[in-house]
Amino acid sequence: MQSEMTFERLRDIVEAYGAAPRRWPASERDAALAFIADSAEARDLIADALHLDLMLDTAPMAEPASDMLVSRIMAARPRALPAFVAQKKTSFWKSLITEIWPYGSPAFPAGALAASIVLGVSFGFTVPNAVSAMGLSTAQTATASGDVGEQLVAMALVENNYSEDWQ
Amino acid sequence: MRPHLSAKSDDAVMLADNRKGIVIGVEFKKGHGRLSVATNTALSAKADDELVALVAAGNEAACRLLVDRHLPRMLAVARRMMGNQADAEEVAQEVFLRVWTHAARWEPGRAQFTTWLHRVATNLCLDRLRRHTMDDIDSIPEPMSEEPGPDVMLEQQQLSERVEIALQALPARQRAAVTLTHFQGLTNIEAAETLEISVEAVESLLGRARRALRDSLATERDRVLR
Repeated sequence: MQSEMTFERLRDIVEAYGAAPRRWPASERDAALAFIADSAEARDLIADALHLDLMLDTAPMAEPASDMLVSRIMAARPRALPAFVAQKKTSFWKSLITEIWPYGSPAFPAGALAASIVLGVSFGFTVPNAVSAMGLSTAQTATASGDVGEQLVAMALVENNYSEDWQ
Repeated sequence: MRPHLSAKSDDAVMLADNRKGIVIGVEFKKGHGRLSVATNTALSAKADDELVALVAAGNEAACRLLVDRHLPRMLAVARRMMGNQADAEEVAQEVFLRVWTHAARWEPGRAQFTTWLHRVATNLCLDRLRRHTMDDIDSIPEPMSEEPGPDVMLEQQQLSERVEIALQALPARQRAAVTLTHFQGLTNIEAAETLEISVEAVESLLGRARRALRDSLATERDRVLR
């Protein structure tokens, strides 16, 4: 904070900011006012600056904002997103599932899919066993070896092992 | 005579005199009116930073309040800088478009909102003036006749026009410094932040501007002293 004031510094302040103390730098205002109280020369300086201030105050002012201007500004304002848009943006996975199954809750199709997988795997394990239970040696051999390819070939040829006595 | 209820909404009932076909008032339903008034009062009490956050969320009332608070000052800055109302309105509109665009990225406390607004307005004016430098020479109106008008009103008007001409004849940055400190009431520190220069540079701009104004308005001093 600057506490000492000189005539030269006061002149610089007044020539830049004018006669009104409210426009002066806050840190120098009190010192400037104290200086003016003791100096007739400083008061002349203020009076001279006041003339220019008064003239500046006669400058034309802006007209009040027209309704058209306010309307144009308000028309361009940001808008809140509609609720359904905001919901869509909640989660990537949720929106992906909605895209795949847009008919309500995905619980039913998901359950059906899971059930079909379980059934498929179960059949995959139980069918070869059922075939071997019918006494098909080739299939048994293939199962024992654990070679899936051979197992499939054996299953394809399994009919050849049946005896053809239809009589 | 009890007016007819002509239209309803969730919050209010419009009161209309059907004989004259005019709306004569709006009656808020119980509770809703008080809520609405309370909401507006609560908004009015909010600081600019809080309103900007609401603006980013698309709150119309916050937008309206921000416009009501700051549009007159932005128009005033632009009017002083540009010298005419039409350009001032364009600049003021652009300032608020910037507010709408930047609202979501506004960081409370980083800068004072009014200082930022003044900076945007001043920069927009300086840009426009820079683009039209050549035009400006022709657009500055010729001084009015030296002859005083027949009455005081005319004399005041002539003085006002001369001051306007003197202001518009200043270099743009000097005019900006005078506009911000003398007309907008910004402190030297706020003006320096707005113009993005040092306080000493603001003081230098102001000193040169006021010397030029004093010289060009020397003949008008007597009128002011009368």
